[in-house]
Order: sequence, then structure tokens, then C-alpha cells
Amino acid sequence: MIFRKFPLFVFILPLLATLNAAGQEQDTLKAVRGAEHSLYADANEQNCLRCHGKLVYSIADTVTGQSRKELMAEHNFVSPDAYYNSVHWSFSCLDCHSEGFRKFPHAIETRFETGWSCLDCHGYDPTYAKYKFEEIDAEYQKSIHYTATEGAFTCWQCHDAHYYRPLARETGSQRDNIFKSNEMCLHCHGNPDIMGLVTEKELTMVLPRHEWLPDPDRHLAAVRCIDCHTRMSDSVLVAHEVMSADSAVNSCVDCHSQNSILMGTLYKYSAKESRDQEGFINGVIFSNDSYVIGANRSKFISLTGMLVILLVLVFAGAHTIFRIIIRPVKKYYE
Amino acid sequence: MSSNFYHYPVWVRLWHATNGILCLFLIVTGFSMLYSNPENALVVTFQRAVAIHNTCGVLLTISYTVFFTGNLFTANGRHYLIKLKGLGKRLFQQGYFYAYGYFRGEKAPFPVDRDRKFNPLQQVSYVGVMYMILPMLFVTGWALMFPEFILKRFLGVSGIFLTDQFHVVLGFLTVIFLFIHLYVSTMGKSPVSNFRSIVTGWQESH
Repeated sequence: MIFRKFPLFVFILPLLATLNAAGQEQDTLKAVRGAEHSLYADANEQNCLRCHGKLVYSIADTVTGQSRKELMAEHNFVSPDAYYNSVHWSFSCLDCHSEGFRKFPHAIETRFETGWSCLDCHGYDPTYAKYKFEEIDAEYQKSIHYTATEGAFTCWQCHDAHYYRPLARETGSQRDNIFKSNEMCLHCHGNPDIMGLVTEKELTMVLPRHEWLPDPDRHLAAVRCIDCHTRMSDSVLVAHEVMSADSAVNSCVDCHSQNSILMGTLYKYSAKESRDQEGFINGVIFSNDSYVIGANRSKFISLTGMLVILLVLVFAGAHTIFRIIIRPVKKYYE
Repeated sequence: MSSNFYHYPVWVRLWHATNGILCLFLIVTGFSMLYSNPENALVVTFQRAVAIHNTCGVLLTISYTVFFTGNLFTANGRHYLIKLKGLGKRLFQQGYFYAYGYFRGEKAPFPVDRDRKFNPLQQVSYVGVMYMILPMLFVTGWALMFPEFILKRFLGVSGIFLTDQFHVVLGFLTVIFLFIHLYVSTMGKSPVSNFRSIVTGWQESH
């Protein structure tokens, strides 16, 4: 009878099922990557990857017929496996690189080719609106990476387009994500030569600079560099406004407090990660292990709440006693 | 003199039972989460308390939708329409009765009859719980499951912190309501008559 009168049940249950299914979408997207699905895999191999896809490549003198093997410079090497598993796997090399690369040896002008920035392809495009590239770019332009290097630092320093994968959305565990995120920073901040490509500033060694932290190893393994070194943003998933070292978080209570932004951001990230990977029912209803942030966080509220409940019970108890004692009086009045 | 009349239709009784059971689970698991931690379980383990709390919260939202729709389209909704004129006086009369008149054997100023299910104090508290506290509990509860929609900061305080503390306060208010609701229910013709009514649907007037 209820079902006939309120068909709302019938609509709400499929809605929950849809919410749950939405979380599985990412896996479907990942499944179609790979060289075997690329229309350009053969062309890429013949034109570019037969040299740039190998750590050791062969060159031949077409006049004398001589050939020899050479090592590919690390920064010119593109791992085919990693490329075809990246988000840009479906592109031909020459979709992004200039026609000048068709000729070998490559002309000197090709050395000065400007790499595309993320915004060149993804900016102001409704298809990618949900990734908020424009907001990321605005944050990056305020960051120390941009202001201190006069623009020499580009998206590529952290996000090599050949290998780019949405770490925060794809990485299984939070620990892996932290490790990979920090690896990105240490690629430059742990290597003076690479750092020297964008700045004259002398590299400060990362570990000695963080010795002031209690148990530095534990901190560095459990927190992303950007958690302390960026201005936290609520609108983009990964904050990009990297601040100067002087402005970084250096107070314990900034993180270890009841209402820190970091705690909130981590909860949001964790809840979303769980939902995206396991769906609403499994990821939110049954496995929201971050609920602890709501627990006992205000002793005042927890205590006051219990006291008021206790008062209500005492009042009810007193009323009951009066009801028992005064019953004869009531009868007398009757 | 008393007369029995059919007062609670089947859908109200079914909804009320569902609502009551879900609220009990929510309260027990809510307390368990609030006063324990993942290492020390209060009633059930922390993880299980979260799962049960979330499940019951979703089911309560569905059950509330039934209640809300039912009140919108059936005569039951009229009991929740508060007449503002003279409300203060009526509330005082009812309060006086509970605190004093009841013990002197005075007649209830607003007895339950075919047209009146709630006395003024009940009416105000039921409207407060069903149309203010519960909807806010749903909004804050669902927001904690979809935290990306919560404001980052509000008045200098973390939005998530405010949301979960607000949820906790609303939870406490619901528990307080539940105790008062249960206690007042014992003040019928006999201590169990109101409980019998909500099961059978037949009300004994008092």
C-alpha cells in the first residue's frame, strides 16, 4: 500500500545505485589506453620512437652504409610504455611537435621549439572545465615558481605531458599519492643540475632544511610537500600556488588543530578518492574511515550535550516520582 | 468518560516505526562515534558504527521523504499547522498542566480528540524536529558524505569543522526530543495507552 501511494521509493533506490555506479567511471576511462589502441603507434615508432623511444639507438650513414649505436640523452628519451599509458596516449608525436622534426638530423630551430602549456590545449574549453585549468594557471602565476624564474618554469617542470596521469584521481593509496607527489618536487629540488635549468639560485638541500620538524622522516613520508608549501585552495584538487620557503607552514597547530584547513582538505580528498574509486555505497556508506574528524572535536559540545540529556532524564525522573507520590492527592481531588 | 477512535493510519504507523528504529540506530552509532575512537569501541567498533550510521542516515532520508510527501497530500499534515494567534497562552496552559495541573487531577487543556492529535507543546516541538532539526541533520549529514561542497572557511572557522559540530548539536537536540517524547507518551490515560495507540492505530481519549 505504501509503495502504491508513494512511488518515491521506486525513484530513490535507482538514484542511489546511479550514484554508486558513477564512481566506477574512472576505471572505464583508464581501460582504453595503450599502444594497441593508438592510431599513430606505427607512425610514432617509425618517425620518432625508433630513436627517442630507446635508451640505445642506431644511426646509419646512408652514403657509406656504416651504422653505430649511441646512447639517447635522458631528457630526450620518451618511454613508449609510459607514454601510451598517459592521458595523451592517443596523440601522434607531430600533433604537438613541429614539422621540423620530420627531418633528421633535426634542424637547430627545433631546439628552440616552445613546448605547449597545459592551458594552450585545455584552457577555456568546456570539455575540461571540471579540471579548472584556468584556476590552476592563475594560482601558478602567483607562485614562487613563476615569479622567481621569470617564466622559465613551466607546467612541464612538474608535469611531463608525455607521461602525465591524474595522480590524485588514479593513485590507489594515499601513501602512494604522497610519495609520487613528493617525487615530483624532488626531481628538481633534489638535483642541482635540473634546478639550474630554471634558476641561478643555489639549491638548498631538502632534508637539512626540514630537520626542525619533530620526526622529520615521518612527516616527509606522510605529508605532501605541497601541503605545507602551497596556499591551500578549496576549489582546485591540487593547490598550485607554491609559496616561498619563508611563507610555508611552520607551526604545529596549523595542521594539528581541530579546524585546520589541511585537515579539512585531506578529509575532502580522502572522501572523494574513496567515492571515485569504490562508488557511493562501498566508498562512502561503508568505508568512510575519515569520519574521525567529527569525533570528539569539541569537548564543550560533547560535554554540554551529555549534561543537557542528563538534566532531561533527572527532570523526567523527578516528574515520575511526583506522579507516584501525588497520585493519592490526585484521587483526593477527584 | 472515554471513547476510542481510529487516529493513526497505517502509513503513519509504519513511517513512525521505521523512523523510530532508524533514529535509535543513528543515536547509538552516533554516540559510539562521538565518545570513542578507532582503537576503543564504545558500543560497536568505530568502522562498523560509521557504516551503520551512514546506512541509517540514507534510509532515514528516504523515510523522511515519505513522511513529508504524506503530510503534503493527506490530512495528517494539518496537525503540523501551528495557529500563531494565542500560541503563547496555549503553550503556557499546557506547560502549567504538565508542571502543576496534572498533579492536581485537572483536566488536560488540550485533550487528544478526532481533530487534535497534538497539544500545543507537542505541536511546536514536533514541527521543530520534523521541519527544522531533521532537514538540517540531513543537509549536514549528506554534506559530510560529499565534503567537496562544504565551504572552506566560514567566519574564520573550517567549514567541515562547523558542519560536523552543527550535525552533532542537532543530533543532541534530537536525542533530547526523543527522551521528552517518550516520557510525555507515558502521560496518557495509562502509562502505556499512547504506546498501544501508535501500534494499533486506536486512540483512547483522556
